[in-house]
Amino acid sequence: MISELLERVHGRTSAADVVLKTDETLSLAFEAGRLKSSSYAQERGVNLRVVVDGRMGFAGSTAEDIEVLVASAFASAGVGEPVRLELPGPEPAPRVLTHYPRAAAASVSQLADLGKLVLSRLTRDGSQVSVNVERSVGSVRVANSNGADTNYDITTVSLSAELTRVQGDDVLIVSDHIAGADLPVEPDLESMVDWMLQRVEWAARAAEARSGALPVCFTPSGTAVLLAPLQLAMQGKSVLQGVSPMGDKKGKVVFDSGFTLVDDPLLDGRSGSRPFDDEAIPSRRLPLIERGRVNGFVYDLETAGRAKVPATGHARRSTFGKPQAAYSNLSIAPGALTFPELLAQIRDGLLVDELLGVGQGNVIGGAFSHPVALAYRVINGEVAGRVKDVAVAGTVYELLKRIAGIGKEVRWMGSVGVPAMVLEGVAVTGK
Amino acid sequence: MKNRLRDALKTSRADYTEIRLERSWTSAVAFRGHRLEGANASLDAGGFVRCLNQGYGWGVASFTSVDRLPAMVSRAHEMSLAVRLDDPIHLAPVPVREDDVRLDLDGDVRGISLEAKKQLLQGLNDLMLGYDRRIVDTQAAYRDEVTEYWFACSNGTLLYELRPEVTLSAVATAREEGGMERALESIGLRRGWNSVQHREEEFLTAARRAVELLKAPRVRGGRYPVVLDPKLAGVFVHEAFGHLSEADFVYENPQAREMMRLGRRFGSELLTIGDDGSAAGLRGTLPYDDEGTPTQNTTLIQNGVLVGRLHSRETAARMGESATGNARALSFRHPPIVRMTNTYIASGKGTREDLLSGIELGVYACDALGGQTYLEDFSFTAGYGYMIRKGKIAEMVRDVTLAGNLFHTLDGVDGIAGDFHWNQMGGGCGKGFQVPLPVTEGAPHIRIRDVAIGGDPA
Repeated sequence: MISELLERVHGRTSAADVVLKTDETLSLAFEAGRLKSSSYAQERGVNLRVVVDGRMGFAGSTAEDIEVLVASAFASAGVGEPVRLELPGPEPAPRVLTHYPRAAAASVSQLADLGKLVLSRLTRDGSQVSVNVERSVGSVRVANSNGADTNYDITTVSLSAELTRVQGDDVLIVSDHIAGADLPVEPDLESMVDWMLQRVEWAARAAEARSGALPVCFTPSGTAVLLAPLQLAMQGKSVLQGVSPMGDKKGKVVFDSGFTLVDDPLLDGRSGSRPFDDEAIPSRRLPLIERGRVNGFVYDLETAGRAKVPATGHARRSTFGKPQAAYSNLSIAPGALTFPELLAQIRDGLLVDELLGVGQGNVIGGAFSHPVALAYRVINGEVAGRVKDVAVAGTVYELLKRIAGIGKEVRWMGSVGVPAMVLEGVAVTGK
Repeated sequence: MKNRLRDALKTSRADYTEIRLERSWTSAVAFRGHRLEGANASLDAGGFVRCLNQGYGWGVASFTSVDRLPAMVSRAHEMSLAVRLDDPIHLAPVPVREDDVRLDLDGDVRGISLEAKKQLLQGLNDLMLGYDRRIVDTQAAYRDEVTEYWFACSNGTLLYELRPEVTLSAVATAREEGGMERALESIGLRRGWNSVQHREEEFLTAARRAVELLKAPRVRGGRYPVVLDPKLAGVFVHEAFGHLSEADFVYENPQAREMMRLGRRFGSELLTIGDDGSAAGLRGTLPYDDEGTPTQNTTLIQNGVLVGRLHSRETAARMGESATGNARALSFRHPPIVRMTNTYIASGKGTREDLLSGIELGVYACDALGGQTYLEDFSFTAGYGYMIRKGKIAEMVRDVTLAGNLFHTLDGVDGIAGDFHWNQMGGGCGKGFQVPLPVTEGAPHIRIRDVAIGGDPA
């Protein structure tokens, strides 16, 4: 279908490229302690982009009709914006593992065993546990009018667990998930379960929070509030639109020298890994912030062309949209401290695991103010109990200028990998 | 197509089988600043089969290769047989219907050129860009959809629906001396091309507000009496109460069932809350849900007392209650789960001014950028707000986030005005990876005695 599409538009376009993605997913849902449903999903989608008279058009479909797809892409180009697209030619593929045969071959009962293992370890009286296990086997093929034609296979296995405990009007929800291209090994599942149970145990006691500018330890999931503005600010498109606070900071040190943020599509077995991006550009590691210094932004071909910089190979295409720059595996570099050593930095403060409403409001500006969903008071380096009715506030770009401690263990949640971090001077408002 | 569905059902060996098929024509136009991001049309087609067998769990197959429907029916049956269940799943009875429902396309968007759609949006985007030199960035989006939908299940129900949808959204970003503010407006309707004409006011409002917010100080954090405008009150009822009333949260959880037992008092006599999937002409409205159950108006809280909840056939059977027509799926890629439709706080008496009077110092919180719940705890972010001083609306403030505990907050509702209206916004609700599901919220102005407002720490 791909070659046929490219042939069909050849001669009528100055450039064209096509992405074909296929996917078959098995998922198992354990609800309230038992396997409740199993699902199979099959998906096949093609996305065509054309440049006609210097204008870009695109179209996507899950239906098989080539004529309709081509006509839609030309109609889109008819009203499209002028672009300069430098499509890549054939390039050698960097090595990265994205497909594990044993993950692809895993049976329903093997996948169910993974879920049961986690379920049995988490189940406690008075709480409900839900677990989802999902395994996808897919393929990606990208080809263009410049002779590039790449393809690779992918597997993804993910497992998520949620424990809910309701006591009177008090609700505790602790959740976690792991994902990668291979089947998870038992130590990874054990460490996920242990970390969930640790958070449940800490919540057994209630504590009152003190108000003021306090040191706060963010768990890996708690760092979502710190990453959210950076994920927007490090987008080349935000820089182009003049809305990134980092846009004029390239080459400057604006964060603590211990802070490094990297996008790396070439990590074996991670769920965001790929040898090529969805515009057939070979993948490479890109430090976005290196030891506190702003180093680079992510671009797809269109935004790179507008910014007159080289494309960084960050295009992602869904079946229906046009390519957009997206991170592959985004991670904060680890520090030197164990988790107890991190907590030991805090004489009186908070441990924040989840906040409510992250991602709403003026995110890219960096200012945040959120009530906690799950947080604990820390006194003299020890967790003293769960706090509720507490809000934390601050400005991410200011808080990351001085970091009191970064954990040595990076925890991967899907394609985002982060250590725990201690920041000082976070505004905490108690009851 | 109906015959294909009937034939496929006949081949099924499962005790219960349901099939959905969908074919959607979508077009979308987006501007970012002066630049067109893209304008395109797409076609999405696929199906969903779900089977249930005595002594086994749900088996599901979803697919884009519609010609493989019969194979997918047997796949779903096999998937069900892979799940042994001691505790059987039952489905509440629903009426058997054979029905064709063609909603008013109101100017079929499939007959309008991409060029015309681009022109429409460009005009609206230019209004924002030209409003003030401080408007540095905009995002304007138009999206439409017409879906053909077929549903059939082994109890005999066979449905065909033709559903339109159209949304417009405006985001304006204003910048001055290091300060940067955004304002949003959106419209979402289960209608067509005719209803998105003459929408200049919404786009100008977004631009005007972004500029106004530049001068507004951050609200000072603390606890205040708060008046919510109907938009925010609607998001409040959806986030703070609606999600808890979805029976899939309570049906397998004895402690949660106790917390949400019918007859429990949730607020004052003033408070009546419901969900109405059958309300005429709204975005969350459909004649049937995705299990073939007719939609209805379900009262959840009547004068402060919990009297109902939202159900799928499975949750209703488990709890010995009736299906309410709230099992909804985002598309053929997803199973139906318990969702809201059009959720409302019923109108009370009096005006906004009646609610304001008597408040010495408070916050008038307007519009919603979003909300999130952690079951009994919730947070939502207002688009903007004003201080209330001596019973009157005073200066504008920004970064107004409201947080609270559901039980305390509903208890604290001490005024409900008589100015009810439905908020026909774009966006939608998210749950279990199914986002954005079209929903509507409706409310009058309401007053809450004591709410935590985030902002500059006091």
